Amino acid sequence: MIKINNVVKRYGEKVALDHLSLEIKEGTIFGLLGPNGAGKTTLISILNGLTKYNEGEVTVFDLPLVENLTAIRKRCALIPQTLAFYENLTVIENLNFFGGIQNIPSATLKKNIAYAVETNRLGSMLKQKASTLSGGQKRRLNIAIGLLNDPDILFFDEPTVGIDPESRNEILETIISFKNENKTVVYTSHYMPEIEKICDEVAIINAGKIIKQGTLESMLSNENADQLVIEIYENTMEKLQVTCAKMAELSIIDESSLMLYGKDNKIVSEALAVLENEKINIKTIRYGTTTLESLFIGLTSKGRQDV
Amino acid sequence: MFKAMLIKEFLLVLRDKHALAALFVMPAVFILIMSLALKDVFNEDKALIEYAVVDRDNSLESYALLSKFRSNKMMTEHNVSENFGKPKEEGVQFIVVIPKGFKSQFSENEANSTALQIEVASDIGQSHLMLFKTQILSSVMQVRLDMLNLSHEMQDHRDGKVSKKIAFDEKSMMKIHYAALDEDEKPTSTQQSVPSWIVFGLFFVIIPMSTIFISERKQNTLMRLSTMNVSLPVLFGGKIIPYMLINQLQVWVMIAVGMFVVPLFGAAPLTIGGDISALVAISVALSISAIGLSILIATVVDSVEQATTIGGIINILLGAIGGVMVPKFVMPEFMRDFANVSPMSWGLEGFLDVFLRRGTLSDVMYEVVGLLLFGLVSLSLAAIIFNYKIRRVA
Repeated sequence: MIKINNVVKRYGEKVALDHLSLEIKEGTIFGLLGPNGAGKTTLISILNGLTKYNEGEVTVFDLPLVENLTAIRKRCALIPQTLAFYENLTVIENLNFFGGIQNIPSATLKKNIAYAVETNRLGSMLKQKASTLSGGQKRRLNIAIGLLNDPDILFFDEPTVGIDPESRNEILETIISFKNENKTVVYTSHYMPEIEKICDEVAIINAGKIIKQGTLESMLSNENADQLVIEIYENTMEKLQVTCAKMAELSIIDESSLMLYGKDNKIVSEALAVLENEKINIKTIRYGTTTLESLFIGLTSKGRQDV
Repeated sequence: MFKAMLIKEFLLVLRDKHALAALFVMPAVFILIMSLALKDVFNEDKALIEYAVVDRDNSLESYALLSKFRSNKMMTEHNVSENFGKPKEEGVQFIVVIPKGFKSQFSENEANSTALQIEVASDIGQSHLMLFKTQILSSVMQVRLDMLNLSHEMQDHRDGKVSKKIAFDEKSMMKIHYAALDEDEKPTSTQQSVPSWIVFGLFFVIIPMSTIFISERKQNTLMRLSTMNVSLPVLFGGKIIPYMLINQLQVWVMIAVGMFVVPLFGAAPLTIGGDISALVAISVALSISAIGLSILIATVVDSVEQATTIGGIINILLGAIGGVMVPKFVMPEFMRDFANVSPMSWGLEGFLDVFLRRGTLSDVMYEVVGLLLFGLVSLSLAAIIFNYKIRRVA
């Protein structure tokens, strides 16, 4: 669906994207992770035709981006981090404006507005001025505007910034629902749990390069890691503390997982014996990090640069 | 606690370049402009009156009068040909014609046939006209007294009679006519002031227009519109047309106030002396000029606060330079030339043509073209900056 091949973007002397290559498959929710200045926004801007790139090739829907920008844009939507609508217009006025500006036939627009309103649960506030909506409602309106052209690809740039957990969960559920409609979602966020919750595939970008890409599962199970994750049936913290005190390499992650530092047979055998003595039942043992966050920090802590 | 508050407030204001500009630079520039514009008004040695004389009498009396004019420090004479144009075209405020037979005024009472004929530029205020009339009357009186003295001296030497019919009233000595107006028709203060405030009012569109534009930029609404394939002409056109309509509404509301509300308070009503087509053309052109400048400011600055401050400052300075606050005829010559850098000056001239000089479409065409060009250049610059700063479409 989206193919990025050896793309280079320079801002004067600074290289924002350094021979970056990436492929995003149709119908996936693709997470784009990276520290500030890593090149995420530049990449999203390029994919939306807002920024020129210096070298490389980008194709979307198998069409070269630059030559087919207008046609490609008709099938995409960008949901920016900022609330990009008019606060002094009502919800329905905003939807009518952003639909009308895209020259969508009126019958289709009516249908698309109904879909956007329903998907984002805005039905009861159509005549309310956007300025009077709560933070979560504003975020939902921001997303609804992106659905007006019934896009095949949705680019979300940190869409849950500054809202309460309940509203965040509602938005994440909405985004997950796009998978059922075979829409492709490119999602950037700083909230790792969000990425873990909704994304099928993840790419970690740092200093303009993709440093890790794959499914969430493959990213979290790294056979070369120096530690093992032992998932257990949930237990009390007190009991886990007593257990871990018996072996220095063992530490608590949470009530249902432990970390074992080291992977040679002697250490693993010893840990299994300790757990058996304490009657702690093991679910699975796997190599790797426990969370995307620890993987992200590990990968991006070296060579950070602002671009 | 209070000390901390004071320190914080000083730090914030001292680091706000635009607030400092509004507080210090703008008043300083304003003082400079207004002082230069008005520097001759309070200077007794400076000529405030610019006039030209056509002497068709060529008599001893007319030469005497010319001599009095030339010795008057308040008046500067310019040369005009016998077939002179309107005062504005000749670059003067008044043209005095000394008619043939003027000398008879000094011996017989034939006021109307021999009175001085004075063409007055239509935008000259009453106070300025009064000043000029006083100078003329004074000069004529002095000539008459000189002549009288001469007559008395001569009486001692011969037995002739001195005429007793010397007229000293203003009407017998001069006949005032405002350029492009009917006989005895005078421009009112309403006619002279309303055009200034129309021009000033139209340019205030800078503030709402640029603040909305900046908000759209900051909120990424414009970026979102770009991703929706909204082209630059649609984007700019979608702003120009509504604000142009608002500007036209402003013009007619202000004219309506001048025509119907001002008379309720005892002042003279506004009348539109010129063509409606000329009025529409100049107001549309002025509107495009103001809108072009607004969009240019909106693309250059980076925040609503900057847009409000810079927009306000530019509006006031253009007004001060362009003759909105101080009539151009009281400005010194270099300031009058400098006034031409302000589009408000062109708009004001156009409106004065319509309201005071019975201007037609062809009379305002020069100003209309200038304003349209200014608007188009501003919009083009705004488009270039906008593309560079915001869109940068692949």
